[in-house]
Amino acid sequence: MVEKKAVAIPVPAADNSPMEEDKPLKKTPKELKDAPIKDELSEEDQELKTQLEMLIERLKESDAKLYNPTLETLRTLILTSTSSMTSVPKPLKFLRPLYPDMITIHESWPENNDKKFLADILSILSMTFDDDKLDTLKYRQLGSQNAIGSWGHEYVRHLSTEIGQEYERRQEKEADSQDLVKLALEVAPFFLAHNAEADAVDLLLQLDIVPKLVDFVDKNSYKRVCLYIAGCVNYLESPDDAICLRTAHDIYMKHGKFSEALLIAIRMSDKALIQTVFDSCQDPLLKKQLAFMLSRQQISVETEDEDLQNCLNNTHLTNHFINLARELDLMEPKTPEDIYKTHLEHKRNTGVAQVDSARQNLASTFVNAFVNAGFGVDKLMLTEEDDGGWIFKNKDHGMMSASASLGMILLWDVDMGLNQIDKYIYSDDENIRAGALLAVGILNSGVRNLADPALAVLAEHLEDTKSLTNRVAAIQGLGLAYAGSAKEELSELLLPIVSNSDVPMEISSFAALALGQIFVGTCDGEITSTILQTMLERADGQLGETYGRFMGLGLGLLHLGTRGQCDVTLETLKAIEHPIGKRTSVLVEISAYAGTGDVLHIQRMLHYCNDHIDADSDEDDQFQAYAVIGIALIALGEDIGAEMALRSFTHLMHYGEPVIRRAVPLAIGLLCASNPVLSVLDTLGKYSHDTDIEVALNSIFAMGMVGAGTNNARVAQMLRHLASYYHKDASCLFIVRIAQGLLHMGKGTLTINPLNTDRQIMSPVALAGLLTTLVAFTDVRTLILGHHHYLLYSLVTAMYPRFLITLNEELENEPVAVRVGQAVDVVGQAGRPKTITGFQTHTTPVLLAYSERAELSTEEYLAQAPVLEGFVLLKKNPDYVEETKA
Amino acid sequence: MPPANTIKVNVKWSGKKFDDLELNLDEPGLVFKAQLFALTGVEPDRQKIIAKGGMLKDDTDMNKLGLKNGHNFMMMGTAGELPKAPEKKILFAEDMTEATLNKAMDIPVGLINMGNTCYMNATLQCLRVVPELIQDLQKYSGGTDNLDSRSNMTASLRDLYRQLNASGHGVMPVQFLSYLRKAFPQFSQQGNDGVWAQQDAEECWSQLISALKTKLPVHAEGQQNVISQFMEGEFTTTLKCDESPEETAVVTKEKFAKLDCHITIDVNYLHNGILHSLDQKIEKNSESLGRSAVYSKTQRVSRLPAYLTVNFVRFFWKETERVKAKILRKVKFPFELDASQFCTPDLQAKLTNTKLKLRELDNAETALKRRHRLDKESGRMETDEVSEEQKAVQAAQEALEGSLDPELVKDVGCNPSGQYELAAVLTHIGRTADSGHYIGWARKGDTDDWYKYDDDKVSPVSKEDIMKLDGGGDFHVAYLALYRSRSFKVKSVSKKD
Repeated sequence: MVEKKAVAIPVPAADNSPMEEDKPLKKTPKELKDAPIKDELSEEDQELKTQLEMLIERLKESDAKLYNPTLETLRTLILTSTSSMTSVPKPLKFLRPLYPDMITIHESWPENNDKKFLADILSILSMTFDDDKLDTLKYRQLGSQNAIGSWGHEYVRHLSTEIGQEYERRQEKEADSQDLVKLALEVAPFFLAHNAEADAVDLLLQLDIVPKLVDFVDKNSYKRVCLYIAGCVNYLESPDDAICLRTAHDIYMKHGKFSEALLIAIRMSDKALIQTVFDSCQDPLLKKQLAFMLSRQQISVETEDEDLQNCLNNTHLTNHFINLARELDLMEPKTPEDIYKTHLEHKRNTGVAQVDSARQNLASTFVNAFVNAGFGVDKLMLTEEDDGGWIFKNKDHGMMSASASLGMILLWDVDMGLNQIDKYIYSDDENIRAGALLAVGILNSGVRNLADPALAVLAEHLEDTKSLTNRVAAIQGLGLAYAGSAKEELSELLLPIVSNSDVPMEISSFAALALGQIFVGTCDGEITSTILQTMLERADGQLGETYGRFMGLGLGLLHLGTRGQCDVTLETLKAIEHPIGKRTSVLVEISAYAGTGDVLHIQRMLHYCNDHIDADSDEDDQFQAYAVIGIALIALGEDIGAEMALRSFTHLMHYGEPVIRRAVPLAIGLLCASNPVLSVLDTLGKYSHDTDIEVALNSIFAMGMVGAGTNNARVAQMLRHLASYYHKDASCLFIVRIAQGLLHMGKGTLTINPLNTDRQIMSPVALAGLLTTLVAFTDVRTLILGHHHYLLYSLVTAMYPRFLITLNEELENEPVAVRVGQAVDVVGQAGRPKTITGFQTHTTPVLLAYSERAELSTEEYLAQAPVLEGFVLLKKNPDYVEETKA
Repeated sequence: MPPANTIKVNVKWSGKKFDDLELNLDEPGLVFKAQLFALTGVEPDRQKIIAKGGMLKDDTDMNKLGLKNGHNFMMMGTAGELPKAPEKKILFAEDMTEATLNKAMDIPVGLINMGNTCYMNATLQCLRVVPELIQDLQKYSGGTDNLDSRSNMTASLRDLYRQLNASGHGVMPVQFLSYLRKAFPQFSQQGNDGVWAQQDAEECWSQLISALKTKLPVHAEGQQNVISQFMEGEFTTTLKCDESPEETAVVTKEKFAKLDCHITIDVNYLHNGILHSLDQKIEKNSESLGRSAVYSKTQRVSRLPAYLTVNFVRFFWKETERVKAKILRKVKFPFELDASQFCTPDLQAKLTNTKLKLRELDNAETALKRRHRLDKESGRMETDEVSEEQKAVQAAQEALEGSLDPELVKDVGCNPSGQYELAAVLTHIGRTADSGHYIGWARKGDTDDWYKYDDDKVSPVSKEDIMKLDGGGDFHVAYLALYRSRSFKVKSVSKKD
């Protein structure tokens, strides 16, 4: 490659300082001794300088015939000179003083090839001047248009910078820039061919012609290009980000990488595109893999194939989860006491006869539900005892959560589980009945069944005139079971409940919430307008009820991740005078920009928190709580933004009003869900002793969220300490217990982090569940500590095993060796960098923590999924040759 | 030949699948349900048959459902009984009043503070660990209409203790307090603003004991009343003149109700302080020298009472600041106290045997424990037969019981072994005697569990919490400690269940 070794240009000095400064500074002592005095040049250099001056002189002469050979000699001199990285090549250095002369010469010549040739030389020469005249570009365009790489790589890079600068200038002047685009399209392929994918993408991005990349990339470069594009997306504004994703998708599709293309399509949440990718994939095995990937996001696509349908519907989830549990020896159910480990708590209540405390039993109910979630066995609920079992150890509304916990324990197991819940639907007790209905919903969360049992069972109870609790439970159940499904039938069922102003606000609000969960991120026009209409019609007193927040949240969820599409809704909300208008608009705004890392919107949220609203005044301050949660929600998924959000929270904690301080721990919990970072734990640990008891309550819960499903020993120890510390405060102890339950969720096999697939994809369904719970915690006293503790079960939509299971072509477990280690960011890295560090080798199935990544450690198989998470199908590597044992 | 309008359907139920069931579309849903009843044993009214988001009703017209051959139904429902509520309703802590809750949790009730009366409340609660006293008090027959205020006080104390046992919530000791103040006017001192002044708990304790000593009837098994019998010991005091060795030492005997623990710079443990107070130098007029001279006063215990009160002398009059200041020094007190070191040689001789046997028992018990641990480590199953170590422990226990000096055993209300265990502690928090707060801490029966009596707030605490009361900081500091004699009656050997 001639171009590569040709020239290397350092950043030239701005003024015409003596060129000797550019000489390498380091000299061997011997050289130093013999070194000529500053201005003196070595003989060789002097000769070169004279030669160059002579050549230029010749150009000044009138003999046009000599021009071409002269220029040729010049070019050869420039091209053949070698130089280190730190100094200007000699010929260029000596030509610098002659540059103005050469420009004059150039101008004086008539249009011909020689003039173009000279322009070429001027183009490279101008690189040594660091001014903003953009001469390199100018003379390039005046030049002979020979191959872009003929002057070498450094020249191209310089040129590309100037193209960018010039493009910006023209944009300002709104001048035509077709010529620049044309040039850029020459530059980009050069970059791509020379391992400078990042430069190519940057240039095209700057010129807004990223889609052109599709034609340039080949099978060698497309991976790195796509990785880089995808990495850029977080920092782009709309609609550039969508264009970039689209380009990445097109490139993948062009190279037949359906799984990668599908991931991009999912990131774009473009239903049509997803369907196209799915349909265009013909390989049956890969198609199954696609189905698994879709099922992880709970996206459904049309297909006739029953096997595929099963994969899409997550039908096997329960079997695989139980298998995993067997493999890891986790089937033995755990009791709440196994989790509390009260013997490790600082003992205080020795020698006290045990009295059943409804509050503490309720906590145990939740702990039992979360810890044994999905295993189908436990030691409290599903036992054959005559005394009516654990349910009756709960009081009144507690019984609702108790029977609902069945749904959690039997999670995902539609075939077997429903029968075990069924008998409770016939109970005489209203609360048990309601709980059983909710359980049906919880159990069906994240899995789909063609018979739609949840819809069949729950639809009947929507109009239960006798029991308000049953109606709420049925509505909630539907919301959880069909979250993200956007099933039209449900909107027909639930919309009338939202708009009916005769039913209590509670029912109406929960119906709106359920619709938000089901139609999450769809911006469904009918539902949006119905909810808005309801807000306009309802009396102020009703809107002021605590349930109003869920109506707002429902509206927010509809717009989850849709960015600008919420503008109309926001405008309409301004028309609502009641504070709920403002609250809802914040909820809608934060939902719409969820996970975008949009700095402007984060600033807006911080701005909302600036106002110090006196709690005694009539002015509403509730929206500030949502703004705080919004900071976390928007920053989610973008590491630097998340880091900054955490820093701004400490400020809010210092200077914020109570309503803000109470929301901060919740926001932290959302930002670090199932990701127990040490510094965050310390912060929450501190807040959990806050004098404002609601800050403490929320912090304790946030600790549960941060540790959810990790079994993290440090969190466990902190919570045990809190259990002793708050042993007299029943409310705090209740939340501590729940946090302990969350920590050991699924005995440490589950995660509630909304980001999956290498933290690239944010699951709207998971977010919907998390947000519901967090919004409930903004009024922790009335809702969670009151009668609506069952809202804790909303977390179910975010719960998913953090496993890696490898399956063969028959969808059977196929244990293989994998390396699991900390993920390394390889975007834009040169060469073939390692993607994980500090790895250990395990045999699948394995559990993956938040920041971990896995890769196959054997060549025997080829993974069908680009990211080793969840279900991964394996194909035998046809080229595999078994290593001969020595 | 099946009827024309029959299709074949599949039904999934509880993980089972029934294939190719014949379904006659002309018949109502109930018929199909009956068919399934035969297969599954689930009664028709308990069946939920689900098809595509809807449920099959008893009277559904099957023709309208658009069913095809091979349609999949899903059935929900179980045979068997519905869950029933337990007959006995569960009572939750949240439903109970504080009184019933305390009863249910077996927490004794407290005494309500009547305005700086914590000194009295703490004292009364600590004295409750002396069952003999409580019993004898109940035998006291006087009323509260005497002219003698001490009699009235005794009677009202009797009533108060009775009330405490019966009540579910904090008791207001109104009557007792007024009689106490009448009997001992120093307690009715009031501050400038009319608020009852803070009082010294030790003074209250001593006055109460002395009053009861005069009022209570003779104890059933002894010749004296319970105070003299169980709570008073006897000193043998030797007074010797240091300056004239030829002067004969005077030996006297005197009763004592409590031992003092003097706190000086070199006192770190309870027994240091007590010994310190037993050996004193006093100045008195010497008849032989005809002038005042220094005498060594050596007190030794010649009778140990069953209940031994130790007073940490923490308060002293600070002349400069004119306050009764407090010594915060940390003085560790043991849970098990060997009192033989305070005794006269005569008494010590009687106790040594017991002491030896006690040590043997301790050794035997340690051996047994080690054995248990080894068994556990090696995974050996515990057998029914009694191990060597267990036998040794039993033998040691019997030997210990037999070792008690018969003379002392006959003396009702004395401590025949010289071994004590901690039964109650009265603590003070605060910097001077006239400020701060008194709290009583008393052991629950024979267990290692304790209750903290902070006026009407009674809470269970652990042995570790009691150990923290030894001072050295601004936490509650032990002021009075009540020890009771250890019982070495051989308990029925607890066999492994």
